[in-house]
This record gives sequence, C-alpha cells and structure tokens, in this order.
Amino acid sequence: MTRKPAVCLEIEPALVAAATGDADRATSARVESHTRLCAPCREDFARYRAIDGAVHAWRRAPAPAEEAARAHLASRLADLRRRTLAYGIFPSPLGPILIARSEEGVSLVEYLSGGHDFAHSRLSRIEGVEALPDGAEIEALYCELLEYVEGRRTRLEWPLDLRLARSGFHRAVLEATSRIPYGAVRSYAGIAGELGKPAATRAVAQALRWNPLPIVVPCHRVIGASGALTGYAGDKLSLKQRLLAVEGVPAVTARRELRVPCECMYVRAPGETAYCLPTCGWVATQPPRQLTRFGSRERAEAAGLEPCAECRPDLHPISR
Amino acid sequence: MDPGRFDALVAAHHGEIYRYLLRATSRASEADDLAQETFLRAYRAHRTLTPDANARAWLFAIATNVAKNHFRAESRRRRAHTAVRATLSATDGAEPESETLFNEARARLDAVVAALPPKQRLAFTLRKVHDLDYDAIARSLGCSAESARAHVFQALKKIRVSLNGHELPPGE
Repeated sequence: MTRKPAVCLEIEPALVAAATGDADRATSARVESHTRLCAPCREDFARYRAIDGAVHAWRRAPAPAEEAARAHLASRLADLRRRTLAYGIFPSPLGPILIARSEEGVSLVEYLSGGHDFAHSRLSRIEGVEALPDGAEIEALYCELLEYVEGRRTRLEWPLDLRLARSGFHRAVLEATSRIPYGAVRSYAGIAGELGKPAATRAVAQALRWNPLPIVVPCHRVIGASGALTGYAGDKLSLKQRLLAVEGVPAVTARRELRVPCECMYVRAPGETAYCLPTCGWVATQPPRQLTRFGSRERAEAAGLEPCAECRPDLHPISR
Repeated sequence: MDPGRFDALVAAHHGEIYRYLLRATSRASEADDLAQETFLRAYRAHRTLTPDANARAWLFAIATNVAKNHFRAESRRRRAHTAVRATLSATDGAEPESETLFNEARARLDAVVAALPPKQRLAFTLRKVHDLDYDAIARSLGCSAESARAHVFQALKKIRVSLNGHELPPGE
C-alpha cells in the first residue's frame, strides 16, 4: 500500500470534514485549493461525499418497534411516577421539617427529630415509595408553611394526596380533621361521633398519631373531651400548644396537664350556622363532645358563622 | 413538579433517543430497554434541570451514558461467556422481522457502523444522525470537543475503508 504524501495526510481531517458538511468556510476553501491540484484527494473527497449522502439516506431509515418501545416506556414511567415522592428538608421554627409531594398533591409533612437528613426520615423507610430530592417547587410550599406557622397566613390551599393513610378509616379521620376551621378545636370523641363510630375515640387518636400531614391536616386542633391537649406527634405537645396559640386558642397548665379552657370559648353545635356563648341555654342541651370551640369571635365569623340571636356573643363577648 | 413538562420531553424526544440507541446497539430489544432506562433516569433527575437548559442535549448525554454502561456490561459478559455467546449469535439470525433493521444498502452501512468502537460509533451517530454540536457530544462522551471531532473523523475513515468496492445508494 502506498503511503500518502505528508501534505495529504495533514489535510485529511479537514477534507473529511469538508466533504461531510462539517467544516467552516476557511477549512473548505483550504481543502478546495488542495483537491484542485491533488487527484487522489479529489477522489477521496468525492468518496466521502458519497458516504455522507448514504448516511443521510440511512438516518431516515424507519426504526422498527418504535411504537412498542414508546408503549413500554409509558407503562414503566407511569409506575415510577405513581411511586415517586419529591421532597425537600427545611429548617423551621418548629424544628427541621420534611415536605414531600406526589404529582397529585402534598402527601407528607414530617417533623425530623432523629437527625436533619433524609436517612433519618420516616419517608426513607416507607416501602414502595421512590423519594427524590426536589428544588424550587417544594421550597415554595415550605415558604407558605412558614407563613402559616408564624400566623401570617390562615389557609394552605394545597392539593393533598392522602396515599399514606393506612386505611379507609384513617383517611376518613384525616378528612374530618381537615374540616375543623382555623382557630377552632374539636374532641377525638367528636370526630369519632361524626364518623358514625362513637366508641372509636381511641382509634381516632391512634389515627391522628400517625398523621402524614401534620399542620396541613390540623390534628393539633383535636383535643381530649376535657380540654386536655392529650398528645401530639409522639412527644411534641409543646408544638401543639404553639400551633394553637398562633391560631388564638390558649392552652394553660391545669392539674399538671396542658388544657384548652373550653369553658371560656365560643361554641358551635354540629350543623349550626351560628356560634354561641358557652353559657347559652341551647348549648347546654347538646352533648359537649359534639361541639366545635373557637378561641375568638373573629375566628368563628371567619369560619362563616353568625352570632347566636339568643345569647348574643357579639354583645357579650367572653372576657379573659 | 410539573407533570406536563416531562410529558412534553418524552413526546418530543423519545423517538430520536430510541433511534439513537437502536443505531448504537443495532437491536430493537436493546434499544427499547436502554430508551426506558434513559427516560427513567431523566425522570428521576429532571427536577434539577433549569428551565433554560438544553433538554435535548441533556437527554442525549443520559442516553450516551446508558449506552456506554451497556457496552461495558456487554463486553464483561462476552468475556465471561464466550461459549454461550457463540450459541446465542447463532439464534440472532432467526430474529423476528422487526429486528431486521434496514434494506440491503442501509444494512451494509448499519453493519459498518455497528462494527465501530463504541466511542466512535456514539460520536458518529450523535453528529451525523442527530446533528448534535461537538460541545454537546463532548459533554455526552466525557471528552474534549477536539476528541469528539477526532472520533467522528476516525469513524468516517473506517466507514470509508469498509465500504470500499461497494456501490453506495445515491445521496441527496
């Protein structure tokens, strides 16, 4: 095999680039002036041109089974998307908090007590979930949550995904809890009664103990029938007190436990559109555990209630 | 996360990523698996993609990585099971029709490209089939733009040698 002259070897990359449409104008001009004088390189150039043409035809060749491949991907992607929760971890006045959401809605708010990282989270241990760190979108949720726990916002209008509820009953408890208005409290027994299971008070308390969405599903607004705060997220009773205080619901220490003073709160009976003084004669006829109690008239009215025409809480507000 | 944004990525780029992987592996079943792997990886990472990022180049970079890993595993497997491989390749000829890629002229080019070393094959396909620029190819392959250019040059030289004496289908 004869070796090419050095000048031809040197220009070969430029020649190939020019013949296959990959060279700038100066390179093409250099190649052209060489091939004008060099017959073997001119031949090379023509051959590479032909190859380039063949490649152009080749690239349009139909790709077999493309539709089937798309369908296979769609099915695996749908499965991954169903299992995926995107999360972020943030500092908060209540301690480090993890927020996670699916494509349907927010599905987990977790107080991180074991450590500030994902490895210590409950999320990392939930089977069948693929947790992925997220950026701006979860951070926007956190900013709203921060405003909420600091009392600068009274509503979190987030789409929720209750996939981490453990049963239909658990889900029903979470939904009933979600309906308790801002600045109000209800009892565990009241929720059990609303769900048609008046004996299930302990089951309601258990369900709220594993509330995947604390703050958002306001389990801090559910207290004992006596007014005792009872419990919150394991051993975080002070957080419950703090969240209630932000909403204007006081909790005081009485008989060595934290209690909401139910006797000096405005009340609403189930189904009523008015709120009453706790001393209202009509209230006395209602089972106490069914009542929703408000820390202030403003909160009761913000929940769409009118003052009772009998006891007139608007004319005789409770003094503390 | 905006589900629509990722759906749009799949709709816009699945076809060309699949074809890229088909040319890289020459087998529809492997291209199918690797395209799935590419998009599942992309889904896991797409939240970190900035709105102004070049999503197409990003997807090609993921597909290239997936293909490179596949070639590595493949060559390990080949070394480990040379005997088994011989039996398998005997059945390759009896593949369903959908596995037969192109007509004869195209098949020749296909065979030549399939015989290229992996980096040259990937660089050549990215440049000549999918029109990626050399910077994007370099990022995909983890090399400099100059090396990417050299890979394409070497690929074309080999194609030229392999096609010597063959009629080529007419170009544009």
